[in-house]
Amino acid sequence: MENLTVRREQSALLLKYEGEMTLEVIPGLKRTVEAELASDEVTAVVMDLSCVEFMDSSGIGFLVSLFTRMRAAGKGFYLLSISSKVRKTLNLVQLLNYFTVVENDEELATLLA
Amino acid sequence: MIRRTFRATSSPDQSRGLAREVVAFLAGYIADQNVLHDVDIMLTEACANVVRHAYGGGEGGLEVRLRAELGAFVDLEIVDWGEGFGEGARFENPGPESEGGRGLFIISMLSDAVAIRTDGGENILAIHKQIGKNAWKT
Repeated sequence: MENLTVRREQSALLLKYEGEMTLEVIPGLKRTVEAELASDEVTAVVMDLSCVEFMDSSGIGFLVSLFTRMRAAGKGFYLLSISSKVRKTLNLVQLLNYFTVVENDEELATLLA
Repeated sequence: MIRRTFRATSSPDQSRGLAREVVAFLAGYIADQNVLHDVDIMLTEACANVVRHAYGGGEGGLEVRLRAELGAFVDLEIVDWGEGFGEGARFENPGPESEGGRGLFIISMLSDAVAIRTDGGENILAIHKQIGKNAWKT
């Protein structure tokens, strides 16, 4: 998936998506992330949302499903550097405090250490 | 008063494109980017509902009817000719663990009034949003 950057840091899977997270792209994004999670022992997923300027309820549902899956497996799920527009949307549906939000790379490094 | 109708087919890419088209048109009159973003989200959710629910997994007609009073408000009607809203339309925020069902709640939070109705063969989601004078282009 061309708008998705995937990298590993220790056993954490870092996903950075650039663009809109809407109904158009979520099925493809789900498939790609499923494949990444099936490949080995990922202990945490970090979703970098700094370059996502628009998210609809499909995008929100994707984040919820990923969080639910990781939590059920006793693993971590973090949202990193949420853009102001996505922050507003997550706040609107009262999910901003439901997720663990990490503000920057330094905070993330501390969390994953 | 401005009136304009925008049409597309209810595929995921066309429905998002339709919302973008309406917002691009409104950007000719509205300067406030936050207001435009709110309208974009409402339209995207409304059109996505048509894609998901109106035609039983298939595609059909999708229309946005815009009526705007400059300096005052925007009315949007999102129309399809599919199965109708039935009993499934919910405006409440589902629990945090729910993966879906937030679209109408989001629209209700960002608008001043929202209603659903069936008129002849048309299923209509009607949105009214007041937009303060300062948000409009001069």
